[in-house]
Amino acid sequence: MSRKKLQQLGISLPVLPTTSVGSFPKPDFLVAARAEFAKKKITREELGKTERRATEFWIRQQEELGVDVLVDGEMYRGDMVAYFAEHLEGFQVGGLVRSYGNRYYHKPIISGEVRWKGPITVDWWKYAQSLTPKPVKGMLTGPYTVMDWSFVESYPDRRAACLALAQEIRKEVEALIKAGAKIIQIDEPATSVRPEELSTAIEAMHVVTDGLPAYFITHICYGAFENIYPGMLDLPVDNFDLEMSNSGLDMLALFKKHRYTKDISFGVVDVHTHVIEEKPVVVERLRQALDVIPQDAIWVDPDCGLKTRTVNEAIAKMRVCVEAAQALRDRQAEKAGR
Amino acid sequence: MDLILANHSSYPRIGDSADLQLLRRTIAQRDRGEKSEADVRAAEDRLTEHALREQNDAGLEVVTDGQIRWYDPISHLAGKLEGVRINGLLRFFDTNFYFRQPVVHARPQRTKPLLVEDFAFAKAHSARPVKVVLTGPYTLARHSLESNGGAGGFEKLLAAYTGALGEEIDALAKAGATLIQVEEPTVLRRPEDFHYVERCMTRLALSKGAAKLALSVYFADPSPMYDQLQTLPVDILGLDFTYNPELVDVVASRGSNRTLALGLVDGRNTRLEDAATLARQLERIARGLSGAQVYLTPSCGLEYLPRDRAQSKLQHLSLLKKTFLGSRG
Repeated sequence: MSRKKLQQLGISLPVLPTTSVGSFPKPDFLVAARAEFAKKKITREELGKTERRATEFWIRQQEELGVDVLVDGEMYRGDMVAYFAEHLEGFQVGGLVRSYGNRYYHKPIISGEVRWKGPITVDWWKYAQSLTPKPVKGMLTGPYTVMDWSFVESYPDRRAACLALAQEIRKEVEALIKAGAKIIQIDEPATSVRPEELSTAIEAMHVVTDGLPAYFITHICYGAFENIYPGMLDLPVDNFDLEMSNSGLDMLALFKKHRYTKDISFGVVDVHTHVIEEKPVVVERLRQALDVIPQDAIWVDPDCGLKTRTVNEAIAKMRVCVEAAQALRDRQAEKAGR
Repeated sequence: MDLILANHSSYPRIGDSADLQLLRRTIAQRDRGEKSEADVRAAEDRLTEHALREQNDAGLEVVTDGQIRWYDPISHLAGKLEGVRINGLLRFFDTNFYFRQPVVHARPQRTKPLLVEDFAFAKAHSARPVKVVLTGPYTLARHSLESNGGAGGFEKLLAAYTGALGEEIDALAKAGATLIQVEEPTVLRRPEDFHYVERCMTRLALSKGAAKLALSVYFADPSPMYDQLQTLPVDILGLDFTYNPELVDVVASRGSNRTLALGLVDGRNTRLEDAATLARQLERIARGLSGAQVYLTPSCGLEYLPRDRAQSKLQHLSLLKKTFLGSRG
């Protein structure tokens, strides 16, 4: 349990702290501005202003909902890998490839030596943190996922590319810490895809986090988790942010077989459905988590980023997370008061 | 040795120019109610023609229709069978590509042709022979979910998919297909299931008529089951050489009693291999083979690459052939 570490960092959180995975849907005014920018009808600066307005919108929403650890909502990103590829040296924007059905994306190409040119997310973190007294997470995509979701041309193999990226991403982490970030999330959704490369993902995460004074979270999803558990517990982070509800909480069975030893941001709502879960459903999911994992180790959040939902759906999903966590806190307070 | 340049299976259905984005645009318009299914079909026709032309221009001797009409390698076939519904998205192997999972609620049955019309179109628009590609029954079954009793368990599901694809292969052969490729990438990840693939391929071979039947395995190293693959009743065996550099030595030392399709050129990464290195690998393999023919193909479908890189990979096959023949004088 890393609550002690949080306290050492000066962060005090309630029981079952609530947070979100990272992305929120872009409000209509930002969608419109991005379209205008794509058509070269507004400048980069004008788009930036609208991105800041959207960031403030989501900070206010999270505060009103009573979320404990906030995110900036990633209003400035299109894609979680392309964004970093665009800001690091050594990448080329690749042509379109299909993601599924009629969806396509520009898959980056690692075509040179990767190099951190300077802070990428720090100004956004500073801006978001300036809007609220609550802690805001620093948000990055991890080296294994950036490598896996890119074509690797300029390194002899995937491991070499991943470790080179890790060295550079560490510089961004250091810059975030220097700016004041105390909770930093390094997203590695690709970790579960090639179990044979888990050791590379772990090695890279050591490069990124070793010896740095922050509470580290990693988000992993789309998982064949059974293939990487319990080995994934060796990733040097304090908290795993996991997609639990989409798979019917079946990871809890794995945790029963082999004790789960870290903090967890426990996904209690499915982000792939428009349906808003009822509070009792979410409370029951949390209750099942509490049967297996110590209460002090559990954070509460959605399964994954909410950017694919509508603004109203995202708010409703966050609200039920907060209300379910509060219901369990109240239940405990009642018991303690008896 | 006769080296035949062939595409593996899929080809990008999009590119940077407006005409290469026709299909994406038309599907989006159809989804908004602004275009019809016939419009989508026409856009698929145009993109199929582009794919055929680019393969021809790259010097390929055997082409495919690029699987331009396929939503994905699993649901495109399974979804056309009675007894199957199509569900949510799942990752396709270790790619960044997602397929829709078939949910089988009753024994899958073929009630209409699956690919015959697409083959006829491609054949009519290609100067080169067209290879037809089907995802194999074992891979379909392993990517499906059974609900409400489904087909009655995995073995029955497998038998049903095998029966349906057998009927399709029979129809394709009768429609003039001379080369039919069945893809079973999943077996490389579950070698204990080899007997299932053996059973499927034995059944499918009965339906091939005058066509040649190829089996393609990819997305993993085939060397641990190389000897078993050699026993299957197929005319051509397609292998992915990108997962284990020692596969070249395995093939060189053990030879092959099947015509091989050599996936030496990486269909998953944009980096272009050194043609001289590949030519030396080909030379080593060739020394171990007694057969008169070898196919040179990408290691897998090219849809995982941007269009310009997919084109480069096909051109690279031609360069590899020239380099190889040049080195032999």
